Amino acid sequence: MTVPLIARIGALVLATTAFYGYVGQMVPQKEVQPPAEVVLKSDLTTADMVKVGREIMEGKGLCLTCHTIGKSGALRFPDLAGVDGRAKSRVAGLSDVEYFAQSMYEPWAFIVPGFNPGMPPINKPPVGLTDQEILCVIAYLQTLGGTPTVTLQTKHHYNSGTTAAPPSQGVSPGGTQPEAPLKGEKR
Amino acid sequence: MNGAMNRRVLILLGPVAGIVMFLGVVWMASVFVGHNEYKEPYRAPAATADATPRAEGVAAEKAAAETKAKATPYTEAEYRRFPGVGSRVAIWSVAQLHLLFAAFVLAVPMFAFIIEVIGYKTGDERYDRLAHEFTNLLSVSFSLTATFGAFLTFMLIILYPKFTNYLMSVFSPTFLPYVLLFFFEAFFLYTYYYGWGKFHPLVHLGLGLGLNVVGTAIMMIANAWLTFMMSPRGISDTGAVLSVRDAIFNYTWLPINVHRFIANIAFGGSVAAAYAAFKFLQAETDEERAHYDWMGYIGNFVAISAFLPLPFAGYWLAKEIYAFSQTLGLTMMGGAFSWLFIIQAVLIGNLFLAANYYLWLGMGRVEGVQPLQKFIKYLLIGITLCFAVWATPRSIIATVSEIRAMGGSAHPILGYLGVMSAKNTAVNILILTTFMSFLLYRRTGKVATVAWAKIGHAAQLAIFATAAFIVIFLGVYGYFVEATVRIRLSVPQVSSVLMAMVSITAIDVFLFRGATRTGEVRWGRIPRISQYVLIFIAVTFTWLMGLMGYVRSGLRQHWHVYGVVRDTSPDAFTPTLGFATKVVSVTVLEFFLLIGVVFWIASLHDRPDFQRQAKTTRRTGAHEAELT
Repeated sequence: MTVPLIARIGALVLATTAFYGYVGQMVPQKEVQPPAEVVLKSDLTTADMVKVGREIMEGKGLCLTCHTIGKSGALRFPDLAGVDGRAKSRVAGLSDVEYFAQSMYEPWAFIVPGFNPGMPPINKPPVGLTDQEILCVIAYLQTLGGTPTVTLQTKHHYNSGTTAAPPSQGVSPGGTQPEAPLKGEKR
Repeated sequence: MNGAMNRRVLILLGPVAGIVMFLGVVWMASVFVGHNEYKEPYRAPAATADATPRAEGVAAEKAAAETKAKATPYTEAEYRRFPGVGSRVAIWSVAQLHLLFAAFVLAVPMFAFIIEVIGYKTGDERYDRLAHEFTNLLSVSFSLTATFGAFLTFMLIILYPKFTNYLMSVFSPTFLPYVLLFFFEAFFLYTYYYGWGKFHPLVHLGLGLGLNVVGTAIMMIANAWLTFMMSPRGISDTGAVLSVRDAIFNYTWLPINVHRFIANIAFGGSVAAAYAAFKFLQAETDEERAHYDWMGYIGNFVAISAFLPLPFAGYWLAKEIYAFSQTLGLTMMGGAFSWLFIIQAVLIGNLFLAANYYLWLGMGRVEGVQPLQKFIKYLLIGITLCFAVWATPRSIIATVSEIRAMGGSAHPILGYLGVMSAKNTAVNILILTTFMSFLLYRRTGKVATVAWAKIGHAAQLAIFATAAFIVIFLGVYGYFVEATVRIRLSVPQVSSVLMAMVSITAIDVFLFRGATRTGEVRWGRIPRISQYVLIFIAVTFTWLMGLMGYVRSGLRQHWHVYGVVRDTSPDAFTPTLGFATKVVSVTVLEFFLLIGVVFWIASLHDRPDFQRQAKTTRRTGAHEAELT
């Protein structure tokens, strides 16, 4: 019995699409939900903030998409292990809290030597963390090489705090201050 | 005489029968409506009847409902739900079908025009016939593209009214030119198709050029809308329009234009080759087989020629995505979508393997091919190795104990093949190898006779070896340098491959000018399986388009316009790759079902007229009766 041509072609098309569909089932399956809008309680302790901060870094903040913790070698973005120790003395005149805040609100103000600029302002979309959420992230970052000190009442330059304005002596990889924002910054 | 009378009577009876039928339908409709129209049951006038408490209650209820309805303010819906599959899958499927047909309609005129130019320049009428045959597929596909475009627009307005309204407000100045261009597109397309052989060849070529220019302009306008959603520009943080020009010239607009332009040609070529394969398999004479074998070869040649530079356009697009937002770039390559590129590697690897296999099978058409066939096994080994490297993931799916044994999710040895240095090297070598296959096919049955033939061959070999060395050297070097340096290495890799392809082709053209032939090309003398390979290539291309369309759109995740207009619908999550590939598979099947209809309609053109066919059948029957 001869199978009609149209049936043979149909079977080939079906088998090919089924094969690629099957390959699609073989790779890891992960459904990514949009970040939930969570209102933080005002009475969070610093220890609670550390936990929340870690959660934000893994989820809504997307921090660990680029940054690593405890990895060495040829990295695209700075590793965060022991970052609090470096943050205290990274930029003259900035405490670790002010430095972390600057890194998130104004990421291009200072670029760690050896790396290219690439971090978006974290308080704006698409990440869009609130001031409280950023404080929680700072609390977690302080645990990496230091002791967390921030509370939800901590003030810094970017949340109408009283701290002095941070100097903008940013250092680009070439040793000069980046004059204009990067391509993606300004819409 | 009698026949002519009958014909006149039939012509007269036609309109009369039409009028009678129309009157009949009007009468039937009026009777049906008259008999079935809803009529209020007879009730005594209110003045003559006492209102019962129940009637008063009903009237009060009705009045209250009316008052409430009038008091309810009009609210605009943000989203509406599509029954069954949900709004996103419905839009996804329709948009994909629209884009597939649009890609086909844009691509076919491009290579039909080029083939027609070749025919005009060489005076070979076979090219003209081939170009005409390609355009046969256009008119039905054009209607389907427009239908799916209208369907998509209505679906967007109905299912995502608020977002669609926003997008329309941003791009309002672009819609009138878009519609006008559509009119021009229809004008050029139909005059190009129906005017075949009716105008001076140069006028006809002008129409073809117009068709291509207008088609590309339409694509570029539509690309502005969709790239804006991915990499918005020209608006404030809250979405207010600052500059429509900037919104159009956003970061990914130009790379998407180039990428789509090339990809459309590759896809259109593959679908046209599949049509030729279908006709080849249906063919009953050697002449038909020879023609469709040639048509399939040209279609596939167009597809693979466009496919070779496509990864380079892809690099540019990815670079612009990273330049716009590192987060978006990393989501694509290192986040939720990273495994999608393993599926892509399987598809592209299959495309390269199938394209090479078709070329090797095609060598059998040419007499005196034996000296070159011995190289095929080396090419096959090269392609298979590159395919394996490209499809090696960085992280292996493993159990906890296996991960512990490996010391991480990356395999201690194979993990090195899962990084960009290895993959870039593999894809560049894959392209070089396929290019070599083309070159071998091109020179089958020919011997160069120019005085510098030996030097020419040596120069080609040296260029090829140098390009391969540069690609492999930089690939290995990439493991020893920082990421910022490594990323830039892909540029010299790509450039050396492009340079090699251009320079080797240029030498080849002059090398084989006036070459002696050791054997003729016998079109149609190719195994039937080669035609199924062409269909396989078309399905794989289509599936690849579907998959890459998904990643381009899905990359925005829970944003309609990335970082500006958030998707708050129930479909805002990013589905699993398994689910996405199911949607892509179903859409591809729908497309091939519809393209089957297009092929069938296009093939009606070759059928004999019904009357003539009936007469022939009657004559044959009478002849057979006489014989018996």
